[in-house]
Amino acid sequence: MSVAALPSEGAGRAGLRLSLILLLAPALLWLGLLIILPHIQLLALSLKVKLGPRLYETGLTNYTEFFAESIYWSTLIRTAFISIAATALTLLIAFPVAYYIAKMIRGRRKNLLFVLALLPFWVSELIRTLGWIIILRETGLISLGLQWLGLIDQPVELLGNDAAILVGLVYTSMLFMVVPLVTVLDSLDDTLVEAGYDLGGNGFAVLREIIIPHAMPGIVAGCIIVFMLTLGNILTPALLGGKNSLWFTDQIFQKFIVRFNWEQGAAFGFLLLIVSSLVVWIGLKITRQSLASTMT
Amino acid sequence: MSPAPDLDIRGLVKRFGRFTAVEDVTFTVPEGSFFSILGPSGCGKTTLMRMIAGFSRPDSGDILIKGNSTIGLPPNRVAANMVFQHLALFPTMSVAENIGYGLRRRGHSKSEIAERVERMLERVDLAGSGPKQINQLSGGQKQRVAIARCLVLEPALLLLDEPLGALDLKLREQMKVELKQLQAKLGTTFVYITHDQSEALVMSDQVAVMNAGRFEQIGTPQDLYYRPLTAFVAGFVGNSNRWRGTVSAVGAQTRYAAEGGFELIGQAVSGLSVGQPVDLFLRPEAITLSRGTDPEAAAANALVGNVQSLLFDGGNSMAIVAPDRGGGSITVALPQTGDLADLTPGEPVRLSWSAEQVTGFAAASAA
Repeated sequence: MSVAALPSEGAGRAGLRLSLILLLAPALLWLGLLIILPHIQLLALSLKVKLGPRLYETGLTNYTEFFAESIYWSTLIRTAFISIAATALTLLIAFPVAYYIAKMIRGRRKNLLFVLALLPFWVSELIRTLGWIIILRETGLISLGLQWLGLIDQPVELLGNDAAILVGLVYTSMLFMVVPLVTVLDSLDDTLVEAGYDLGGNGFAVLREIIIPHAMPGIVAGCIIVFMLTLGNILTPALLGGKNSLWFTDQIFQKFIVRFNWEQGAAFGFLLLIVSSLVVWIGLKITRQSLASTMT
Repeated sequence: MSPAPDLDIRGLVKRFGRFTAVEDVTFTVPEGSFFSILGPSGCGKTTLMRMIAGFSRPDSGDILIKGNSTIGLPPNRVAANMVFQHLALFPTMSVAENIGYGLRRRGHSKSEIAERVERMLERVDLAGSGPKQINQLSGGQKQRVAIARCLVLEPALLLLDEPLGALDLKLREQMKVELKQLQAKLGTTFVYITHDQSEALVMSDQVAVMNAGRFEQIGTPQDLYYRPLTAFVAGFVGNSNRWRGTVSAVGAQTRYAAEGGFELIGQAVSGLSVGQPVDLFLRPEAITLSRGTDPEAAAANALVGNVQSLLFDGGNSMAIVAPDRGGGSITVALPQTGDLADLTPGEPVRLSWSAEQVTGFAAASAA
């Protein structure tokens, strides 16, 4: 009987392999066609140097130009620093919110608050950013409110500066920080916190020695997501920062669309990728986390 | 004047809305003793423990540790430390960091912390395990780390909240002995809460039996087993045959008519009158079992019956006997000597027990 069963077993294994390939196919196609292939093409494009119409040679000129022109590299550094600041600010604001949702309340109110944190994301980012414009502009809510209170005697413009960009970026990123933090804090056993107090710890010691080490994978995951989203954001800095925004994605956009210099744009795209990977790598080293541990 | 007891609880009350979780509990625990609070789940023992540790405040009453009231103190300033039910070891720290946590909070120097942690590890037989991670330890080792983490702070009182509950049976038996030896060696006062009577009886100097927020009886394990003061204690501590019945005669001995239809003779009990409904208890291990068909004449209580079934469980083997007269059944412990190892269901046997073994309590009027 077992002998008779062998051929069909072999056929079953082949069928299993086929279904595995079919199951993986969408993910592999997505990775290959939409991520790996375009990046290879961009890399090739970025190494092309335009000599004249339809005349190219291979070289690093597109990259050396970036370092030669201070406006380019200073914009990239500025973009990275504001993104790091926005990420840190988002973490500072989101942590208490997430702790409150995960630990301080129970049942229906917990779900309600979670949905409330989610609700702004049902509206598109464009509309949300326009909302901030309405609040921050010269004839906006804050300006009018301060005048009405008599604290200022003429309209004040709050748009077009780094603070406005930060406000918009933090607001846009909140959810992506709150969700991983709530998840990781939910899994923190309450008795660990109680034991922390019982053994003589005050609130600060419990936070530093027990809650934060436990939440570290969620903190790192949230920070990576928020940093990447912020660094790659183009809408919020453009709308809230105005002409002064000097955001690196905006320069990439300019190269591709306005100047039609795809070679230079591709090189800038790669530089952004390198900087963001570098910052994430340094962040993981500092917090002694691995990418794998933050994703589980 | 004798020194203040390590723990002195006076008239403690805790209510949650209309529900009274702890009702007027008063007791003292002398220095260096092992005190257990035994009760079914939901009896309020965890609430009581959390009030002692400072996690919740009593509605009235006072808690004194070494003579000082702890009411209103936050848990990090109460001189009692707690071993949690699931131990609550910090998974992000090594064994040594776990044990050193409390010392770091007190601001001791690094070298002193390292030295005291190592000494504590030796005392709980875990020398050299400091750098290990928590998940590398066995269940019993985790237990000892959880205790060491508290004891390194030299607390006046160690509270243990059913710490053996999560262990498997073999390890639990072993840890019972280990905990008792550890307590004797260290001399720290232990207050241990459990729903497992065997844990309480084996380890404790004193046991308080708790039911529905009240203490039913405080006494040595022997007191609770041989001289229960209430029907609840008689039923909860140890195994019992239990009947409802009425008092049929009082005098030098008390006679009871049990519901099954047979008569039980017990010792004189003051406060019972003829016709009063009672709860009757008789321990399986207090009954003498022998082969035969005629009742034992000399014993106060004797009857004959047939073996209905045998429950073999090694040292805890029981026979269920159906008496010839009256209904119901009686559970009898089989003698450990193996004399009756060949007993088979259906065999006629005779049972006898003395009057001291029958305990009767006036039934609660509500029942």
